Amino acid sequence: MQLLRLGGAIGLVLARTVLHLPKLDRRELGRSLFLFGYKSMPLAVGTGALIGSTVVLQAGVYANKFGTRQYTGWAAGYALVWEFGPLLLGLMLAARIGARNAAELALLSVNGQIEGLRGISLDPFRILVVPRVLASAISVTALSTVTFLVAIAWEGISAYFTLSLPLRVFFNSFSELLGVGDLAGGILKSLAFGTAIALVSTAVGLRATGGARGVGQAAASAVVMSCGSIFALDFLLTPVLMRVFGT
Amino acid sequence: MSELLRVSGATLVLFARTLRSIRREGLSFRQTLVQAYALGASSALLVGMGMTFFGVVVTSIAYAQARKYVGNVTILGPAYFELIVREFAPMMTALLAASRSAAATSAELGAMSVNEQIEALELSAADPIAELVAPRLVASVLSMPALSVIGIATASISAALSVTYLFHADGWSFVDPRFIERGDVLCSFVKSVLCGAFIPLIASVRGFAARGGAASVGDAVTLGVVGACMGCLVIDFLVAATFLVIGL
Repeated sequence: MQLLRLGGAIGLVLARTVLHLPKLDRRELGRSLFLFGYKSMPLAVGTGALIGSTVVLQAGVYANKFGTRQYTGWAAGYALVWEFGPLLLGLMLAARIGARNAAELALLSVNGQIEGLRGISLDPFRILVVPRVLASAISVTALSTVTFLVAIAWEGISAYFTLSLPLRVFFNSFSELLGVGDLAGGILKSLAFGTAIALVSTAVGLRATGGARGVGQAAASAVVMSCGSIFALDFLLTPVLMRVFGT
Repeated sequence: MSELLRVSGATLVLFARTLRSIRREGLSFRQTLVQAYALGASSALLVGMGMTFFGVVVTSIAYAQARKYVGNVTILGPAYFELIVREFAPMMTALLAASRSAAATSAELGAMSVNEQIEALELSAADPIAELVAPRLVASVLSMPALSVIGIATASISAALSVTYLFHADGWSFVDPRFIERGDVLCSFVKSVLCGAFIPLIASVRGFAARGGAASVGDAVTLGVVGACMGCLVIDFLVAATFLVIGL
């Protein structure tokens, strides 16, 4: 029941976002892009470095076991671009963007400031919701490319140190066996995750009630629901994207 | 950089103070049980659902890799099972539980701290660390390995089922423990215990540091969850590297 209601709220936010898209507030969009995108850069770079080195660390054991060291670049890159890059970045940004967005909107709606905006005939969707949804989708997509870049560089470096695999061999197998389609699959996944984070956290934030406690609860449940919806989207999108872009 | 040092220092100090307060004041069994339910048991559904989806996605990755190069997906089965036990399940479980329990902890402690309830506890001669942090730390350390087992079980079962019914190959190769050694289980266990200890500590540090109004509670939640997720990734990497170096 609760889930159904939340699903409806997310659908409403999505529909109203699309309807209000032409009347977007440019300055709010810039502010949200700075907050969501630029300020999350260190997180994206750190995540990329950690995933890249961990994936190679674990894949390297099997590369030695099966005697397929020269394919490490492909295997690690494939796992990174299709699955671990978008998924882990999505979870991280759900925590960062989702919690912040939900807390801010919950604070506004608990204090009656949303009604205040309506009272002076400003549309809260135009200033508060549409720019954030758009900014979150753009930021997560852009940050995913940064994460991929950093993670692939770290994969090369840690393959060099743990497997003593020359960088050229690593990147050869990487560039020969992976195509633009693989990259597009990963980036589209991130776009979907970014949109989901914004829609879920907006819906949760606007529904918050009950004073200061409600703000904390909204932030917490926004993170949990965003994470849940990211896993569900991952499950739904992977077969579809693999059929379209898969090599 | 100095922020990073300050936060990791605060986490270590809080860990030491929590251990000392457990020795001095004892541990409330009842509170620990309540927190084990709030942080552990109520994350079980999230972890189970998430890892079920994850198992299907992992097998579709394995299938795509196998089709290109190995030929038969069942050859990769035992290796992927070892990877699930050793790497994916502890990491993903920790991240999911981190987002849930760190958000809950820092929201609650942040709200208490903003409303000056922490000071009220101190005034009535109660130790807020023994009352609030110690039960969470113990409960989380105990429940994280259990959640990780749930994660391993659901991910492997959904992997086996999806290979059998989606790709029409022998799914039981994905629960074939041929490569599992003592080191894999130990590595998985160490990861989940360390993440279980780290998550409530960083969330409490961020919660206690909240000052001002309701906005700072939201900030505390953001910082707590991001710190917990990032910390789990770092712990995962460090443990994996350590086990690789000592060769287990």
